[in-house]
This record gives sequence, C-alpha cells and structure tokens, in this order.
Amino acid sequence: MIPFILKRIFISIPVIFVLATITFCIMRITPGGPFDKDKAIPPEIKANIEAKYHLDRPLWSQYFYYMKGLIQGDLGPSYKYLGRSVTDIIKDSLPVSVELGLYAAFLAFLLGIPLGIIAAYKHGTWLDSSSMFIAISGITLPSFLVAALLIYFFSFKMGWFPAGLWEGGWEYKILPVAALGLRPVAIIARLMRTSMLDVIKADYVRTARAKGLSEFPVILKHVLKNSLIPVITISGPLLAGIITGSFVIEHVFAIPGMAKHFILAVTNRDYPLIMGVTLIYAVLLILANILVDVLYAVIDPRIKVS
Amino acid sequence: MKLKKIFTLLLSVLCLFSLTFCSKKAKLSNDTLYFNLETEPPTLDPSKAADTTSSLVIENTMDGLTDYDFSTPDLKIIPKVAKSWKITHSGSVYTFYLRDDVYWTDGKKVTAPDFEYSWKRIIDPKTASEYAYFLFDVKNAQAFNEGKIKNIADVGIKALDDFTFQVTLTKPVAYFLHISTFPDLSPLRKDIIEKYGDAWTEPEHIITNGPFKLTHWKHDYQLILERNDNYYGAKAKLKKIICFMIVEASTALSLYQTKKLDIIRQVPPLDIPHLKNTPEYRSGNYLSTYYIGLNTKKEALSNAYVRRAFSAAINRTEITDMLQKGDIPTSTLIPQGMLGHNPSIGIPFNPTQAKEWMKKAGYGEGKKTFPPITLLFNTSETHKTIAESLQSQWKRNLGIEVRLDNQEWKVYTNSLQSSHKEPLKTSFDIFRLGWNADYPDPDNFMSLFTSYSDNNHTQWGSKTFDKIVEKAKLMGNNPQKRVELYNQAQKMLLEEEAVIIPLYIYAHQSMWRNEVKGAKLNPLDRWSLDEFWLER
Repeated sequence: MIPFILKRIFISIPVIFVLATITFCIMRITPGGPFDKDKAIPPEIKANIEAKYHLDRPLWSQYFYYMKGLIQGDLGPSYKYLGRSVTDIIKDSLPVSVELGLYAAFLAFLLGIPLGIIAAYKHGTWLDSSSMFIAISGITLPSFLVAALLIYFFSFKMGWFPAGLWEGGWEYKILPVAALGLRPVAIIARLMRTSMLDVIKADYVRTARAKGLSEFPVILKHVLKNSLIPVITISGPLLAGIITGSFVIEHVFAIPGMAKHFILAVTNRDYPLIMGVTLIYAVLLILANILVDVLYAVIDPRIKVS
Repeated sequence: MKLKKIFTLLLSVLCLFSLTFCSKKAKLSNDTLYFNLETEPPTLDPSKAADTTSSLVIENTMDGLTDYDFSTPDLKIIPKVAKSWKITHSGSVYTFYLRDDVYWTDGKKVTAPDFEYSWKRIIDPKTASEYAYFLFDVKNAQAFNEGKIKNIADVGIKALDDFTFQVTLTKPVAYFLHISTFPDLSPLRKDIIEKYGDAWTEPEHIITNGPFKLTHWKHDYQLILERNDNYYGAKAKLKKIICFMIVEASTALSLYQTKKLDIIRQVPPLDIPHLKNTPEYRSGNYLSTYYIGLNTKKEALSNAYVRRAFSAAINRTEITDMLQKGDIPTSTLIPQGMLGHNPSIGIPFNPTQAKEWMKKAGYGEGKKTFPPITLLFNTSETHKTIAESLQSQWKRNLGIEVRLDNQEWKVYTNSLQSSHKEPLKTSFDIFRLGWNADYPDPDNFMSLFTSYSDNNHTQWGSKTFDKIVEKAKLMGNNPQKRVELYNQAQKMLLEEEAVIIPLYIYAHQSMWRNEVKGAKLNPLDRWSLDEFWLER
C-alpha cells in the first residue's frame, strides 16, 4: 500500500509542473494585466511597480523565476493584497473552505447513500419517487437559488439562523452546509440508486437470498458494498471540489473561504494567486484520487492497489 | 403509525429549534457599531493604498496634516495635525506648523520628520506607490520617482524642525492644499516600518495616530477598530467598530435587515425601488461623473458635427429614470458641488438639432449613410442598461445602427489603454467611463482630457485646451478667473468638439439605522466614524 501511495505521489510531481506551466501560459496570454486600471497609472509609475514584481523581465525569465520559487515552496506575493504572500492567503482561507466542505461532504454521504438505497430498494414506489425528486431538485436548482431560499425561510421568516457570516457558532454553519451539500447529496443518491439497481439483480444477490439470508444482511453485506464503487469513484473529484469551496456559497453567506480567490484572482489578474489556488486545487484533486484508489482496494478485494 | 411517529419527532425538533433561536436575540450595546466595509482592504500602508476601502480604514486610524469640513458646502480645508500653514513664494512654498500634542499609539510624539519620511517614501520608486503622482507638483519629486535624480535631499520635502514641515512646489498649483488632506500622506513611523517590513500593518505591529486603532484583522472577513483613548482631538464616541467584508450587496442587506449590521454602504440596485421610500435609506451625490467618450480618430466620428449630433440625440433623463438610483442627469463634466460647475454648458437633448448636425456632416436622407459603429462597455448590468438605452436613442433620433460589445473589466481597461497606441485598429468607436474626484478641485476633471493625459482615450488633443487648463491650474488666488477659464475649456470639450458626452452625476446609496447618530453622506464618500454614536 505505502509503495503504491509513494509511487502515485511521485508520478504526480511532473503533472503539477505541467499544470503550472499551462496555467502560467494561459494567464499571460489573457489580455489585461494586474495594474491596468480605469484611472491610468503614469507609465513611469507602472514601470516601478512592474520592476518590483519582476514583471519587467522577459516572460521566460519570469517563468523560471516563478518555478524556482515554487520548488522552494514560495508561491510569491499577491499583487492585489499588498504585503501578503499567496501562502498566507491560502493559509487563512483554505481551512475555512475545508471545514465547510467537510461538513457538506459528511452531509452528502450521510443523506445521499441512504436516499439512494431507499430509492433502489423501494424501486417504483412513492419513496423512490420522493428520493429522486429531492435528487433531481438538488442537481437542477442552482446553488445561489438554494442559498437564497434557505436564507429567506430560515433567516427572515423563521429567524432561526443568521443570514450569513462565519462567527464560529454552529448556527452559522447550518445554512451554508445545507446549501453546499444539497448538490452532492443529489449526485450521490442518484449514483447509489443506479448502481444498486444493477447489483440487486446480480446472480450472487439472488444466491444470497436463496441461501435464506434475511433482507438486511443481503443489502448490507452484498449489495451495499458492491454498489459503493461508482460512489467512491466520484467521491475523489467531489471531495476535492467541495473542500476548496464554492464561490457562490461563500459569496452569498459572506464566508472567508478560498473559493472566491479562484474567481477574484483571475478578475484582478493577480498572477501568483491564480497559480497558487490552481496548484492547491490540483494537489487536493490528486490526493483525493489516491485516496479513492486506496478505498477501492478496501471495498473490493478484486481490485489491487499494486 | 411509523410515519406518524417520524412526523411527531420532526415537529418536536423544529419546535425546539424555533424556541432556541427565536428567543436568542443578540444584545446590542451603544458602544459597538457593526459596519460593512465591503471588501478586504488591499493594504493599510498609506503609501501604497490606492482604493476606497483601504482609504476608509486609514483615514479613521491615521491623521494627516489637514482634513475637510464636510459641513461646509465648498468642503473647506481645516487643520488636523497641522495647526496652521503659511503659503509663500506666490503659492510655491507651503509651510505647515504642527501641533505638539499629537501622539502615536505607542506614546511617542508625532513630528515633522514622520511626515517627511512618509511623503518621501511615497515617491520612492522602491515603494512602487500607484499614487506617487499626486506629489509630482513637488520640486524634483517626479524626477526622483523616475530615477532621473538620485539624491532624495533634492526633493522639495523637508522637516525644518520637529514641528515645522515644508513643501516646495515646481509651480503654484491651486489644488495643492487638497493634496495635503490625502490619507496616503499620513505620517509614518520609519522605525516600525523598517523593523517589521510589509507586516507592519498587522494589528500586533501597527502604530497609528488617528481616532481609532486597529486591534484585530481577520483577513477577508473582519477588522476591528477600537477607540484611541490617547487621541489629541475630540475622542470618538464609539468604543468599537466591527467592520465586516461582505462583498455581496444582497447578503449585506439581509444581515442589515436581520440586525447584524448597522450600516451598509451599498444597496442592491434591484432593491432600491422598494427601499428608497423607507426612512433608513440614504442617498446623496458624489463628485463623480459618468460619461461616454468618442474615438475621434475613427473616420465616422472624426467630424465634430457628428459628435455633437450624438450628444444632442441623448435624453439623459430617460437613462437616469431607468436606473432609478437618484443619479442627476448632466451635460457638463465638472460635477455639481465643485468650483466651475456650470449646468448651462454642454449639449442638451434636442433631436431636431441633432438631425441638422448630421446633415451638416453630410449624412441623412439623400446623402451618405452613416456606417454602423460599436459601443464598448465593461461587463455590468448597469452599463448594459445604459448602453442599450443609448443604442435605442441613437436609432430613434438619428437612425444610426450601434453595435454593443462588452468586455471583462481588465480586458476593457487594456483595450482603452491599447487604443492610445493604435487608435484606428481598435474594435470600438465609443466607450464608457466614470470619474470620481480625487479631490474637490475642477483640475482633477479637466486635466483628464489634456493631450498628454493617459486618461484621455478619445485620441483628441488640443494645444489651446491644454493651455487653458494649465493656466487655470495656477490661478488659485483668483477663483473667478479660474471659473471663466474652466467654462471656456468645458465649452470646447463638450460643445464645440464634443469628444465626450457626460450622462449623469453618480448618486450613492447607503442604509443606516435610525439609532446611528452623527452619520452624514458627503460628496467624497468619506466616512469619519469618530463622529458617529449610537442611541439604541
């Protein structure tokens, strides 16, 4: 297991460098620079600023300068938030997104899997239709609408939860977690249902029932375990996406997470921050996929990590 | 039966929630104000600040030489750390006499060398300050910033003794005293900046001299200002101000409506119609003008008659009525409330006259057909609404086809800047921009359209216009003459040449509770939080 994990990490290093190079090129091709403003800065002053951030050097030199820093673990300074390094910004914001994301992921698995199971097991009944109604709603309703509806009912009408902010109390977490978690709940429930419907019809399930096993052990031991494979496959990217935050949810609930930097870094052309958040996302995605591969082996002995 | 049990359980949980939360009302004191700052201040280093959020925090934590008296209609400049000043050498030398009872938050006295350090730091190329150009009227400041001279002692900024600070200008510009009010020119502590580097603005290191001090800064979320009890002036009435950084205006409004915020500085445009008649809705006008500019190098717009016709074909009131934000329609550039504002200047709405001008330019029935042109704007609902209105008005009143094109903000500003290099190759003929006053002096608006201004994207330039603006800049001792010169310049810019078409003077919208006292909107959008108090 450990050599497998190490091997996967080792293979990922060139992937990170290729990604960094592609991101560097794309962001420098994009028109507009970090210091383009409506109030034009005199060219001499712009030259001073560009010199400070080494943007006056040829592009290849800037690329090697950045890569050298990256190898040493230095993600550079932000061009927008003066005096703050990209590492500081990520250190401040990533834990918030991770916390919110983990709650949402927990909610997704906690609700998504049982909903999928119920829908499949009670296939064709009202329970199936209701579960799938929730699932389809979760997938189709845009998150800003879900968030707005939650705020309207639970903050304005009922007055139960705050309409936003991230003050530490659990009452601040309920609405954003629900808004962020609804979509993954829906995705997992639908996947779980489809996969379970396939497994339920499998010969070994029929055999298990024929052996006289009661329904609960059949579902738990034979059906559930094998139905989980597609859910685990999707969990990697889902988890990486969810813990790096959602721009809409963080924006609507005024949560100081990392997601907004994915958008604002680009609109501000804050090159080092664009690179920083992209690379962090890539690293998390790679780690989540390694975790998925390890989980495969745990769930299904036919799959070997080596 | 089972279902019944589940529903009973759910109902009990819901009741428990409502009992827990409905009864839980936060106790709000009169000492603490909850304020929406809107965004993370990009910096709290005065020398590097170039945005309104940073300036708002800096002006509440730092005191400079002078300030504005917002209760006076002409925004009179009043003493702050400088108790008085003397202007000599025909307006070229400013000598500021400082109070000797102003202290930093660590107990040291604020002295003239602190100002000297700060003013020299902003023009130092190593600081890479965006606003260094505000001091370019100071002797040798521009040359030092551009690296043409190396000795900082040659720059006209000097502390004559601990409480006398002198600035020597290259020319006696009329607006220099306004420059001395800038938060960017607040005094700075050399020892603190050298000791902590960029981290000097963090709450654990920062040393300030204003009515509030920074005690907490959770980046991208919250910043806390507490009253500076050793402040030399009238002490702030509030003990604490909790500033949140809520970017989304509708979220801020929700939090305001659920009593988590006392002041919001922005109202979502869609909510304005139903909030504007409520007592807590506040609206006022800025010293800022929204205008559209015409690329005079493009053949279609190279004729002044065509440009005048474009201006005369716009009913500005139709636009402001559509926006419903309280903006004031204007045909002049210098906004209301500023010296030189003259509402009679500019081309008013007159479709008949517009058609006449088009005919004079050789377009219309039986003559040439005007080619389709492109109006470019940066992506935003408001700008889109305005662009569509202009498109329809020009079609209606002149029969002209205008294509609309939008670009993301940075791409847009880049397009405008690139148009200086290759004006004929640009994809657009008309653009939009707005200008907020840096200081309440007409030069701040008029110098935008000099032939050498980087902000003049019209590609139009006139030596005569440049001369008038340059002359008016130096007439500080003769306001009457200045007004005459600006009337002349505005007539040239807006009526004869019509290279820009002003549309309206911006209005800003805020909301604050009736319990918040002492708060007033002002045309520069400054927030002197030390004047606020609460009566909850």
